[in-house]
Amino acid sequence: MNSWWVVPLCKTIHYFGIAGLAGIVGLLDLRIFGVAKGLPLRPLQRLMPWAVVSFLIAAASGYVLLRIAPASALGPPLNIAFAAKILFLVLIGLNDILYFATGLKRQVDAVGVGESTSASAKIVAGVSIALWIGVVYWSRVLTFLAGAI
Amino acid sequence: MHIVDILQQWSENNAFFIWLRESSSVFAYPMVFFIHTLGLIFTAGASVLVDARLLGAARQLPVAPFARYFAAIWIGIAFTVMSGVVMLGADIQTKLQNRLFPPKMLCVVAAIALTAALRTRIASTRPEADVSPLVRALAAASLICWLGAIALGKFAVYF
Repeated sequence: MNSWWVVPLCKTIHYFGIAGLAGIVGLLDLRIFGVAKGLPLRPLQRLMPWAVVSFLIAAASGYVLLRIAPASALGPPLNIAFAAKILFLVLIGLNDILYFATGLKRQVDAVGVGESTSASAKIVAGVSIALWIGVVYWSRVLTFLAGAI
Repeated sequence: MHIVDILQQWSENNAFFIWLRESSSVFAYPMVFFIHTLGLIFTAGASVLVDARLLGAARQLPVAPFARYFAAIWIGIAFTVMSGVVMLGADIQTKLQNRLFPPKMLCVVAAIALTAALRTRIASTRPEADVSPLVRALAAASLICWLGAIALGKFAVYF
């Protein structure tokens, strides 16, 4: 089962998923912030299901990697960066729920080409960007604490 | 003396690279690696999305406004390349001897060149106009190069 190519293949799939996710979430968050205002927000937000698909690819390959080397993340002792990464992913989920539940998503849908979004939408997008950068940071610290750098 | 040996010797005696290699601080090598990862995830992700649009996905989005997004892509490329050069500097001989390093660099250089080629063509795309076969071919090449660079980078560690 554990041929030398299994781990790099899983990591490649993990990164392909992340690239799809970062492509959609990054562009949407930055557009809400005011970058590339010529892009219409409503069709951009319709790409969200593809971001979910990308996330599931990353999550599934991440789970396989975790099962292959559980000690590097789960310990004992528990890798604190792994715990922080999962916590940040949960916070991202809560931030996204907030975005839909408060009606902000629909409000952003109605923002036209060239127009600015509301301050509350910008805050949610900013929190999203900060948390995703945090997820990448904890992933690198995770590798470092696992002794793999 | 070979140029690689000269650079290797310089790196081995350079205070910054000694610190980068030997420090156990999370702000040394892991920080450079973090910047590299963040930059490449953003850059490759944004490029893959633009390429997918040019290849016919998400047709509800107009093409021309994406040209404004390339400023962000270039910032991502700058951070990725700079941190990549620093990581190479810390470990010149080992990295250059890796057989997957040259094809990875080929993918990276081609992907960056394709980014530049696509930007000007995207900016001049008229609304409602179809994406030309040339632009679609460039987008397909860009997609292969970015994904290839990621895969080769991952496999290089184990090769």
